[in-house]
Amino acid sequence: MSYLTFLVIGLGGGAVIAALGLGVVVTYRASRVVNFAHAAMGMYIAFAYYELRATGDMVLPILGLPARVPLLDRPTEVTAFALCMLLAAACGAVIYLLIFRPLRGAPALARVVASLGLFVYLIAIVGLRFGGQGAAALVLDGPLPNDLVVWGALKVPADRYWLTLIVLVLAGLLSLGYRFTRLGLATRAVAGNERGAILLGISPNVVGVVNWIVATMLAGGTLILAGPIVRLDPATTSLLIVPAVAAALPGRFNSIWVTVLTGFAIGMAQSEILFLQSQWSWLPDIGLQKGVALVVVLFALVLRGDVLPDRASAAGTRLPRASNARNVPFVAIGLLVVGIAATLFVSSDWRSGIIVTSIATIVALSVVVITGYVGQISLATFAIAGVAAFSMVRFADDIGLPFPLAPAAGILVAVAIGQVIALPALRVRGLNLAIATLAMAVAIEELLFRWSWFTGGFEGATTESPSFLGIDLGVSAIGDAFPRRTFVIMTLVAAALSLIVVSNLRRSSTGRRWLAVRSNERAAAAAGISVTWVKLSAFALSSALAGLAGVLIAYHRTIVSASSFGVFESLIAVAITYLAGIASPLGAVLAGVLASEGLLTVALDSISDSASSYQFAVSGILLIVAAIKFPEGIVGIRSAGGTRS
Amino acid sequence: MSDALLSVRDLSVGYDGAPVVRGVSIEVDAGEVVALLGANGAGKTTMLSAISGLLPIIAGSITLLGAPVDDRAPYKNARRGVAHVSEDRSLFSDLTVRENLRLGLSGNKSDRADGFESAVAHFPELERLMGRQAGLLSGGEQQMLAVARALASAPRLLLVDEMSLGLAPIIVERLLPIVRTVADELGTGVLLVEQHIHLALGISDRAYLLSHGELVLEGDADELAQRRDLLEASYLGEQAP
Repeated sequence: MSYLTFLVIGLGGGAVIAALGLGVVVTYRASRVVNFAHAAMGMYIAFAYYELRATGDMVLPILGLPARVPLLDRPTEVTAFALCMLLAAACGAVIYLLIFRPLRGAPALARVVASLGLFVYLIAIVGLRFGGQGAAALVLDGPLPNDLVVWGALKVPADRYWLTLIVLVLAGLLSLGYRFTRLGLATRAVAGNERGAILLGISPNVVGVVNWIVATMLAGGTLILAGPIVRLDPATTSLLIVPAVAAALPGRFNSIWVTVLTGFAIGMAQSEILFLQSQWSWLPDIGLQKGVALVVVLFALVLRGDVLPDRASAAGTRLPRASNARNVPFVAIGLLVVGIAATLFVSSDWRSGIIVTSIATIVALSVVVITGYVGQISLATFAIAGVAAFSMVRFADDIGLPFPLAPAAGILVAVAIGQVIALPALRVRGLNLAIATLAMAVAIEELLFRWSWFTGGFEGATTESPSFLGIDLGVSAIGDAFPRRTFVIMTLVAAALSLIVVSNLRRSSTGRRWLAVRSNERAAAAAGISVTWVKLSAFALSSALAGLAGVLIAYHRTIVSASSFGVFESLIAVAITYLAGIASPLGAVLAGVLASEGLLTVALDSISDSASSYQFAVSGILLIVAAIKFPEGIVGIRSAGGTRS
Repeated sequence: MSDALLSVRDLSVGYDGAPVVRGVSIEVDAGEVVALLGANGAGKTTMLSAISGLLPIIAGSITLLGAPVDDRAPYKNARRGVAHVSEDRSLFSDLTVRENLRLGLSGNKSDRADGFESAVAHFPELERLMGRQAGLLSGGEQQMLAVARALASAPRLLLVDEMSLGLAPIIVERLLPIVRTVADELGTGVLLVEQHIHLALGISDRAYLLSHGELVLEGDADELAQRRDLLEASYLGEQAP
């Protein structure tokens, strides 16, 4: 009976995933945006509701406006809910008109970057407005009744049933609305053929605004009602987007009922796995339930191939021109010399900045190779880096491998994992691949990085300080001597070598094959290029670079913990690299400078020290603005040379 | 003729600022079928896109139903009574035939019912296909649906782009006369882009001939049909004598 109880309890989580999945479908239909910030938008509305209930203040999500507007003394649940639905409607409309409407004709990747920027901004603004754990503590009771309903041996809180009923009714209304109302028909028309819809007098703006409003209200409303069921905190709630996208995938981001049913199935399976873990002691105590979304994604992709139709595949995957990188080796050597010279003189803060910038440059190069040169969007960069870091510690501790061998072995493991992540890329591309790799990254984080033997559990894993031929290459030192100069130079050399390797490969026949696959896989295959080999080899090089960055991060931190290698870091890495210039090794250097705690941060800190708390919120805004202004990246503008209007 | 349905003056239009059509002037009156002829790449489709507001004008002007085109969003042209049957037919392949037709309807409830009936009256074949997805229709059926959907809005100006593309001659001979009927019965002005010169001239009142983006010949359809040599010379890009 308990098996059944847990399945039914899972209706609650399932309803949330189903509703969020519906919102993803609604916005995708109306504007062809896979909005990775969808759950984060709903999360903000839910935080605002609980804060409004507790204090009577409406908290506004826009930097620069007053943070709080006192509205009512003690709003009732209904008043507060209605006010927050208005807020949701306003947010949906503003986000569409300001961000995604201008990006309509932009490359698919620019839209992904804008939604990642929004994601970063919303998480940061929740932290700023409600405090780290603030509103989580507010969720004492939600609007739904939650007394136990007893049916025989089945005892389940009532809110699970209510939420299920509400989501099913909403899905029914949406489905009828799309079928029988003029606006619904217009939405389906715009989704199918936007130009044709315009020629019939349909305004895509109106269709977009209305659907974004519906989607945001749906996400906000569901998360308000489900507040007590899901844990409301920025990190977990915003990543509900992964199961939500997984739910939307089997229905090709189009079918309402397939999305709803898949959403419920994921939620119920997760709940059941949680129960089984308590029953079957041989099941490892790791986040197995988070793997359900990955299984659904992989099944959908393997069974149906490219599930997201790319309407304008030629323009949709357009990437900036790949520079020939001829001067990169000289620039790399120049930067290395300047960097080493600077290392000898600058203070400890700046040396830390150099380390972070060097490592971030290597991470960005990993993105340049796989996305910029081969056109495959992978969102698992830091998951691969983490695998290398933790493997290195295990090789050093358990087998006793010495310095250059342990990190090399760690990088090899990263390459192997990278090949596994590459497998979906042999079958799908574009946004589908982004979703598959995102699900893999979450799975690696929840399964592998929670395995305490592998990662050292809560305390993390301590790295052995590297030394080679009697030279201490470690970072640790006392006082101003930290970080040690030899370590700084080691990261500089690693970054410079990576730059030279990547730019030389770009100019070789391998590089030409990469670009051929990027521009047209079929044409490349027809010209005798093995697309499979190109993708696997590019993933191998990209994973090796990510792994190199991972082991350097491990040596830099001295204690590695899973939090250094989260999904969030991967998303930011792709976004920043894209904006700096994703098809150019020098773009990677710029991305390294822009990275959080990199040289730009150090420079800003030396001017003012109050800016750091707003850093994430501001960088989210900058990502969005830059995605709209420079949809081809900063280095891309210069090399495009005015050939595009 | 300032009261023409469509009046194009010295129009230059193209892509990314490079003109494809240069200095072209044409007019279409109510109840008139006007053919726009020319070889591949002459600029016919580009002209129609500019008239619908899908392409920005580089120079010149387009006056449509008494108002200039360039200050409006393209969907507003459609709402004012311009129907454009584009080369790719612009059907919504996931929607049923009935839903496609419904999207063409405009006005109040009784207008919409009338529009639906008259559209179907021209194409009784569509009646039995109402519940089928547009993507599953044959090429001829799709073209019928595209024309029917355009007629459903009772347009004042109908733009038809390459109706014969990829269709068997027998279907073309069945479809083209409907355009003539609509012009005669409803007073709709029709601008017809067509590769089949003689079929097009057969149902048109007047015709324009474009070559390399410029207007090289215009005149009465019957007269032009007689001057085969002139048409062929223009098609081959030579100067008309």
